[in-house]
Amino acid sequence: MLQLKNVDVCYGSFKALNEISMTVNSGELVVLLGANGAGKSSLFNTLSGLNKPTAGDIEFEGKRLNGLRPSAIVDAGIVQCAEGRKLFPQMSVQQNLMLGAYVHRRDKQGNRRRYKEILEMFPILEEKAEQPAGSLSGGQQQMVAIGRAMMSRPRLLMLDEPSLGLAPLIVRQMFQTIQQINSLGTTVLLAEQNAFAALKIASRAYVMENGRLVMEGDREAMLGNEKVREAYIGA
Amino acid sequence: MNLFFQQIINGMTLGSIYGLVALGLTLVYGILHIPNFAHGALYMVGAFMTYFLMVDIGAHYWVAMAGSAIIVAIVAVLSERLVFHPLRNSPPIHDKIAAIGILLFLEALVQMIWGADFRRISSPYTGILNFDGLIIPEQRLLIIVGAFVLVAALQLFLRKTMTGATIIAMAQNRDGAFLVGIDANRVAMMTFAISGILAAFAATLYAPINLVYPAMGHVVIMKAFVIIILGGMGSIPGAIVGGMIIGFAEAFGGFYISTSYKDIIAFGLLVVILSIRPQGLFTKGAH
Ligand SMILES: Nc1ncnc2c1ncn2[C@@H]1O[C@H](COP(=O)(O)OP(=O)(O)O)[C@@H](O)[C@H]1O
Ligand SMILES: [Mg+2]
Repeated sequence: MLQLKNVDVCYGSFKALNEISMTVNSGELVVLLGANGAGKSSLFNTLSGLNKPTAGDIEFEGKRLNGLRPSAIVDAGIVQCAEGRKLFPQMSVQQNLMLGAYVHRRDKQGNRRRYKEILEMFPILEEKAEQPAGSLSGGQQQMVAIGRAMMSRPRLLMLDEPSLGLAPLIVRQMFQTIQQINSLGTTVLLAEQNAFAALKIASRAYVMENGRLVMEGDREAMLGNEKVREAYIGA
Repeated sequence: MNLFFQQIINGMTLGSIYGLVALGLTLVYGILHIPNFAHGALYMVGAFMTYFLMVDIGAHYWVAMAGSAIIVAIVAVLSERLVFHPLRNSPPIHDKIAAIGILLFLEALVQMIWGADFRRISSPYTGILNFDGLIIPEQRLLIIVGAFVLVAALQLFLRKTMTGATIIAMAQNRDGAFLVGIDANRVAMMTFAISGILAAFAATLYAPINLVYPAMGHVVIMKAFVIIILGGMGSIPGAIVGGMIIGFAEAFGGFYISTSYKDIIAFGLLVVILSIRPQGLFTKGAH
């Protein structure tokens, strides 16, 4: 579904991503592990068209994505739920969610249906619908962020550290929701530092260090791997 | 009593015009981070377009107003496409220099065609309404009502339409807007178009009780900048409230102190308010 070949990304003279090659197959839940500063967000932002690759190729469903504008990438079916959520803080929860449907704005009926599905996934958001998104708790804001991304009807959903800064109980629910989204048919690429929880729901994983992918494997291999356990799980 | 009421009307008239001009300026700043010094020139072009359509073409006042709004919207969008868009990744100082360039260009162009003379526009509303001794010139009432209608229409557009929501979204979180697939170019063009339309309406409303000449935008744009700094850069309510504050301060200051000081009053108020609230009256970000 998604294929990267030797992708490089630079910020000025600093090379943040170095020859990244990876594949995500339709239906998978792929986890991208890596410490702070490894380059996970840089990779996601490149896939979203916010950063331009300086070398390499990005292909999605047979279509070349490099250099496309962010709006064209959302149109193509890749949607990112970004680190820090990037909500519209003074807009209501409902407006945030409806803006997620921006690329499908002509399909009003479909959007209403989708909106209902999102509220079923996150029932708490129904009572908060009229409140400014910025006034919600961290966990609820993360729900709005995921809900907004789902309103764009992604075929590939990228989630950048959705568990960051949330209480353990909320994190567990969050991972359950992500697994549910995946099992309902959306392919997921999940960047996490919370390796154990992420690997438990993953089909496969990549490990990133200093802008390079240094390891790849399926769930069992990763969970069993000494280096992964040492570096990311702490056991 | 009557003289006092007169100053209220004058303050509201000035405040309405300043508010409309400041609103366009603050929208462009809040969403695109461009301090558009050329905004006063758009206002001036708006007045000249109305003059041209009424005097040379013979259009009715309302038709001329609509025509002027369309033309200025196009000029504003062109300035975005041809000047600001290519500079979007340059250091901010380039935007400022380019804006001054547009300002000088538009003024020179208008002066080349129409000359530097003072001109007048006559509106069909020259009567004076008398409410039991309280006197309101029709054109002033039109300005106040017109500004109110425009602000209400803008609010409806921004809050109730998907297109309006994209503009607010871009102001509140630029990356967030990109991630839902909002097209930055569309928002930029729309924002400039709205700022141009508001400037043209303001100029056409105010011109019949003022003079039309190529440098007429200077004082207005200076005050509009004072207003948006005072109101909070990028804040819509800030532009409206700030416009009214400056309008009232000028009307009353001009009347009770001296008209020769009225242009200083705005800047004096700016100093006072910013020393109390450095961030402006309303916080940044369209809302
Ligand atoms: N806009 C930027 N400009 C310059 N350097 C950046 C920028 N964004 C990220 N970086 C650098 O790129 C590296 C990777 O960052 P990031 O992609 O945010 O990592 P992660 O998401 O894995 O924590 C870091 O060294 C970071 O400092
Ligand atoms: Mg990150």
